[in-house]
Amino acid sequence: MDNSLLVSLSQQLAAFRAIDVIANNIANASTPGYKRESTKFEEYIAQMHPAEGETGSQSVSFVKDAGTMRDLAQGHMTQTGAPFDLAINGKGFFAVQTPQGLRYTRDGHFSLDANGQIVNSSGYALQGDGGAITITPDDGDIRIAPDGTVSGRTGQLAKVRVADFADEYAMVKQGANLYSTDQQAQTPAVIDIRQGALEGSNVQPVLEISHMIEVMRAYEATATLTKNQQDMKRDAVEKLGAMPVS
Amino acid sequence: MRALSIASTGMLAQQTNVEVIANNLANMNTTAFKQQRAEFQDLLYQNIQVPGSQTSDQGTYAPNGIQLGAGVRTAAVYRITTQGDLKSTGNPYDVAIQGPGFFRVQQADGTDAYSRSGNFSLSPQGQLVTQDGLIVQPGIAIPQNTLSVSINAQGQVNATIAGNSTPQTVGQLELTRFPNEAGLQALGSNLYIETPGSGSPQAGVPGSVGYGTIQQGFLETSNVNSVDEITALITAQRAYEMNSKVISAADQMLQDASRLGS
Repeated sequence: MDNSLLVSLSQQLAAFRAIDVIANNIANASTPGYKRESTKFEEYIAQMHPAEGETGSQSVSFVKDAGTMRDLAQGHMTQTGAPFDLAINGKGFFAVQTPQGLRYTRDGHFSLDANGQIVNSSGYALQGDGGAITITPDDGDIRIAPDGTVSGRTGQLAKVRVADFADEYAMVKQGANLYSTDQQAQTPAVIDIRQGALEGSNVQPVLEISHMIEVMRAYEATATLTKNQQDMKRDAVEKLGAMPVS
Repeated sequence: MRALSIASTGMLAQQTNVEVIANNLANMNTTAFKQQRAEFQDLLYQNIQVPGSQTSDQGTYAPNGIQLGAGVRTAAVYRITTQGDLKSTGNPYDVAIQGPGFFRVQQADGTDAYSRSGNFSLSPQGQLVTQDGLIVQPGIAIPQNTLSVSINAQGQVNATIAGNSTPQTVGQLELTRFPNEAGLQALGSNLYIETPGSGSPQAGVPGSVGYGTIQQGFLETSNVNSVDEITALITAQRAYEMNSKVISAADQMLQDASRLGS
């Protein structure tokens, strides 16, 4: 079989995947705490047996996707003024208790539920040092200090837990802005929580759009190449077929 | 090719965002209107290769997996319940709440609704009512031939009646608070009702611990900040545009693919 077609195919499949990842980044350009992903491709080298009458060996390299890399850079801070909007400046994640166990998030939009617990928009309780944090209306205006101390009128109520992990890249995205991991949570050396702000998505639109154009053009080029190869083959068949039989 | 559907979730989300912003701007001059924000979440991921999967029997692991996302969804449109500015009107039946709490009014069907909009008037029977004629609870009736009405910070309503120089207490305004104000359901007409998310109402006297105070002759303005909203509108519009660009790029790629066989 002609390898050139297969090499083109591998590139086209890779381009499809790349555009999917870019589309997801752009769709999440307004998702708080979203971390952009980029695709990483690697060369897959296949050794070819020399054809009859040829010497030496040939190799053909295909494209293969190796992984999606997460860019954990800090997203920009947006002031919202909401008292339970929290943004982590620097490393770490908020911990929330879900029915599936502890999950971690950088999306700091929290509010109170009917019982006065601080919960995220799915209703999962934000974890403090002693589990869920409950606020009563008598506590008045709530202040959350940069180190996570939650205090009301009567003094300190709880402390927001910030978890850090040895390998943040190995955390698995769960959707709904949550990450899961089985790593042991650690406390970061410096905790800097901003009240009344949200960490935006770290997607950079210019980067994504230019990357998208790049992928699109590469795809187009390969498509043209494939087309040319096909034309070549068809020509060959037509011309060879037209030769008189001796 | 998922890019098409992923980008369409992005466009839908930005559309919601623009709608929320439009509503905020439309209500910029609505008494005691609370600004809303749309919040987004990423959708489920398809794990093609889980991060940390083993790449050889020598104990080497892939540092990154292959996780493909499916787009974005609107998780919540929440209300930011910060205090609005107080605007002086001079009208004796305009009252603003400074701090937490809601006025309780009785709807036509007899159920309670809550409002921070204190632009009250008198009904033909002399009762304190909202602009829609709903009676403020507990009912306060202003006697006829009242010369002036004063409402103090604690919500006590005093009336000076003709022929009597000493003001008389004719009623007491009450405030209601909720464990989670943002969980109230908006009914329109500046009214909110209790939901399982808001918790149960707790009534109290203005000025007591955890309740706001009353300012007569003032109205609470909306807490919408026009500069913030316009900035958010521009961001949302650009994000919408970019998602549509992704759709055309994906479309172009599919076109190229379909031309291959021709």
